[in-house]
Amino acid sequence: MRLNLSFVNAKWDDLKREMEPRIKELKFSFSRIKKSPLSLVGLFLILFFVIIAVLAPELAPPKYPHNPYRIPRYGYSAIPRPPSPEHPFGLTEGQYDIYYGVIWGTRTAFRIGFIVVGSILVIGIVLGSISGYYGGIVDEIIMRVVDTFMSLPTLVLAMALVTALGRSLDNVMKALIIVGWPSYARLIRGDILTVREEGYVEAARAVGCSDLRVILKHVLPNAIYPLLIMASLDIGAMVLTAAALSFLGLGAPVGYADWGQMVSFARNWIVGPPDNPLAYWYTITIPGLFILFFVLGWNLLGDAFRDILDPKLRRR
Amino acid sequence: MNSYLLNVQDLKTNFYTYEGVVKALDGINFKIEEGKTLGLVGETGCGKSVTVLSILRLILPPGKIEEGKVIFKTDEKRVDLLTQTEVFMRKIRGNEISIIFQEPSSALNPVYSINDQVSESFLLHRKEELCKKVIEEIEADIQKNPFFLKKAVYQIEEKIYRKMLKDPDAILLRLLSKVPILRRYQHRLKKQAKRETIRLLRKLGIPNPEGVVNRYPHELSGGMQQRIVIAMALACNPKLLIADEPTSNLDVTIQAQILDLIREIRKRLDSSILFITHDLGVVAEMCDYVAVMYAGNICEMAPTRRLFKNPLHPYTVALMRSLPELGKKRLESIKGNVPNLINPPSGCRFHPRCSKAMKICSKEKPETVEVEKEHFVACHIYPQDNK
Amino acid sequence: MNLRNYIIRRILLVIPVLFGVSIIIFVILSLFSPEQRAAAFITDVKQLRNIKSVIKTYHLDAPLYLQYFYWLKEVLHGNLGWSRTASRPVLEALFYFLPNTVELGLFSIVPIVLIGIWLGSASAVHQNRFIDHLSRTIAIIGWSLPTFWFGLLLLMIFYGYFKGLFPPEALSTSTSLYVHSPNFVRFTHINTIDALLNWKGSVLLDALRHLVLPVITLTVVQCALVMRIMRSSMLEALGKGYVTTARAKGADEKTVIKKHVKRNAMIPVITVSGYLFAGLMNGVVITETIFNRKGLGWWWWRAAVQLDIPAILGAVLFNGILFVLTNLVVDLLYAYFDPRVRLG
Ligand SMILES: Nc1ncnc2c1ncn2[C@@H]1O[C@H](COP(=O)(O)OP(=O)(O)OP(=O)(O)O)[C@@H](O)[C@H]1O
Ligand code: SF4
Ligand SMILES: [Mg+2]
Repeated sequence: MRLNLSFVNAKWDDLKREMEPRIKELKFSFSRIKKSPLSLVGLFLILFFVIIAVLAPELAPPKYPHNPYRIPRYGYSAIPRPPSPEHPFGLTEGQYDIYYGVIWGTRTAFRIGFIVVGSILVIGIVLGSISGYYGGIVDEIIMRVVDTFMSLPTLVLAMALVTALGRSLDNVMKALIIVGWPSYARLIRGDILTVREEGYVEAARAVGCSDLRVILKHVLPNAIYPLLIMASLDIGAMVLTAAALSFLGLGAPVGYADWGQMVSFARNWIVGPPDNPLAYWYTITIPGLFILFFVLGWNLLGDAFRDILDPKLRRR
Repeated sequence: MNSYLLNVQDLKTNFYTYEGVVKALDGINFKIEEGKTLGLVGETGCGKSVTVLSILRLILPPGKIEEGKVIFKTDEKRVDLLTQTEVFMRKIRGNEISIIFQEPSSALNPVYSINDQVSESFLLHRKEELCKKVIEEIEADIQKNPFFLKKAVYQIEEKIYRKMLKDPDAILLRLLSKVPILRRYQHRLKKQAKRETIRLLRKLGIPNPEGVVNRYPHELSGGMQQRIVIAMALACNPKLLIADEPTSNLDVTIQAQILDLIREIRKRLDSSILFITHDLGVVAEMCDYVAVMYAGNICEMAPTRRLFKNPLHPYTVALMRSLPELGKKRLESIKGNVPNLINPPSGCRFHPRCSKAMKICSKEKPETVEVEKEHFVACHIYPQDNK
Repeated sequence: MNLRNYIIRRILLVIPVLFGVSIIIFVILSLFSPEQRAAAFITDVKQLRNIKSVIKTYHLDAPLYLQYFYWLKEVLHGNLGWSRTASRPVLEALFYFLPNTVELGLFSIVPIVLIGIWLGSASAVHQNRFIDHLSRTIAIIGWSLPTFWFGLLLLMIFYGYFKGLFPPEALSTSTSLYVHSPNFVRFTHINTIDALLNWKGSVLLDALRHLVLPVITLTVVQCALVMRIMRSSMLEALGKGYVTTARAKGADEKTVIKKHVKRNAMIPVITVSGYLFAGLMNGVVITETIFNRKGLGWWWWRAAVQLDIPAILGAVLFNGILFVLTNLVVDLLYAYFDPRVRLG
């Protein structure tokens, strides 16, 4: 019993010793985040949206509890109505409530961002690892597939996939996952190749480490920062592309709380009556600003990560 | 010691990194006499390259030269380089003081041919002479009595070059060099510079200089690249040549060839040389004086013979001891680690590794004292004057 | 000699990508029912009436791998199917819509590249100073802007508030009528160029007026990419030994930056400029849609909304080929800028 404990203790000490430089790094990184105003802005923007998403049911109680993402309508007239006490952001084309739409749209955005980027990360890491680790013909095939996907413009390919899969938000996410994984696979593969050149892998294998362990222990810790940067930037980019698809009429069904679609509602109302050309400003400005700030938040964060974690920039 | 060419006094340089202030140079002092060679030795990271860059004020942000003087004798006057204008410095750099860099492969720009890079020195500092030669050439061309149209072109060319001789920064010339076809007027100048380049390379014993001149850096071997770097440094016959570990990235046989070349240069030119190296053997053979550097300080400086015979500073002694046999020349086996220059040891920066350390050593920085004639030491063992 | 080998190698590398693109297209195609797929083989409206026989003639009920070859055969013969939204065969429609897109692309790529490179290098040269912070902030906002929203906002201001100062579409109605009349020779079908060739100032002015907003939209959004790459490669080049060498030679700062830093920093920018075109096509789809500019992007949008399968597949194919061609040009430029490729 006692022997066992000491063994655990030794293990723990080992772990502590091993993690110490990493923890030091992390502390240093955080001290730098605190010093960079732009990354703070990014962090606050994301925090702001997290709060909105979490509190959505309080901020905008759903009218249809079984389907909270359906935006309530207050009439059927096409002409938008300006902000009023009951509808703080006004009503857009078809009398959809803009306030409700943007609040619940935040949840949609987070869902798209996290699901898409999460899946991309998993697929990219797995395929990239296989490709880099085993090399040979497998590597060749995977890399050619990656090349092919990366040669096509994201939006055009996603458009084609969504038309083939059928129009829905789920299919938009599927399309974005298909479009997005290759750059991650390429990154991981590159990292594995460098680690392999350094000879860890052979050494680790010689001591009897399993392949999975080698990847987990030697490759991912080095690749984690570039991955984080890319993922943060991609959450913004993917939400942006999804919004574009919804705007183009290929995403969320009509009346679903989705920012892109709410901008498309405004398309016919960018020009008001001759005496007041900006009469319907709220229909377009508000949902658009939500998209902008959401994406901006993730991009600022990714950019800050890049500055902070880039070893080349650190010493300067 | 009044005939010195360069006198560095209390030079301090810091780098303001995110991790803290790197105090790379902590008040260093040394002199180089005219026509003499000073060797600067020290472990890696002790600040040798920073010294070089500080002398020419090439330290880039986040680095900053904090204080001190770099007195240089130019046109029979002594001036402090640290207080001069940037324009003045540009006339010094590459012309009166030039540097051979540590790593030839990175010192050469990969996208320009050897000719482009060596010519650049001539075009920067020897434009007048080149212009005169070009004018002579044009006059000779006119003498040959060409077709009258061609003659007119030559005459215009001559006018342009006379203008360049008078006022190299004239607006007209700058305008001309922006227009694609008219830009060709510089052709003769460049050709002249190329001729100079080839002559220089031949003088340095580079085989087939006409061919080499059109090559790109990646096509040359490391030794050849270093020769080109040396050629660039020698282009304008500098008064002070700084060689920053010119051989440390080359393999042994090529090292010997490059050293031979530098020896040749030393014999032929009357310039002073600041020779930086890891290699005490080379110092013993090539240098008139030696300065030993440790963690941003010069700890001992003396004529070479005297230093080797009678090293006074504990660090120098340890260095000497670390090369008992001839084959082993690298400075490695001193116990302890090279100090972190963000939080350098207090007092004498050598005290954590010094076998002779005393109480005072961790508290006060030792002054540099002239123990014997021309033999300077910074160590508490030796009586500190002006106290 | 070496340059030739290099080019041949590059051209050979293109083949797997084209093959991959064809596979992607075919996979997308196979997601549809045979009846829908039939459209990809039809070249004429009349054939539409007899779908069953089309399915028979083109073996649309055969196993998939066989179908791939039947389809590939048609594609290699230039038969990309019939586009309902364009009311003409896809290949013809591509050429029909191309000029408007080329015009937009040409007019945008110039400011994107120039401004991007300029901002990026200014930002790197003055790292951590005001101009750096400013241009990085601009870039990151531009990068985060939803293209479709920004374009609409511009329309709201410059079309709505300023009473039609910069209108949507490619030409105003009257000009459009004139352009299509026999008095106006359509050399290239690109409005601005034709206007110049016909020496018609009014047409040129009208075409330019319609280009302003789409070009601004694309530039603001796409510039950020160029700027970011230029900045980081400039920073990298600035730290290189040869830059110190140049300074130590006595060159002035302007020469050092222009001659020694920029030339090297351009190399990474050139290598990614192939992807720049892909990004530009993304922007083109959205920009043409919101500004109602009848080019390729607008057509693809209509095709996607109305399930015009052959047109969509044509879009993927077009982009694949575009990528391959731009990358060949990029490789040549690369060889010009980097002697290590040219000679090595
Ligand atoms: N740009 C920089 N930023 C931060 N610190 C720097 C920079 N340049 C040099 N230093 C620091 O200054 C110290 C001296 O470096 P320097 O390059 O002069 O060493 P060196 O004596 O030339 O070594 P070597 O023999 O390896 O060439 C080092 O500790 C280094 O960390
Ligand atoms: S001053 Fe003290 S610590 Fe420094 S070298 Fe002399 S004895 Fe050693
Ligand atoms: Mg050095």
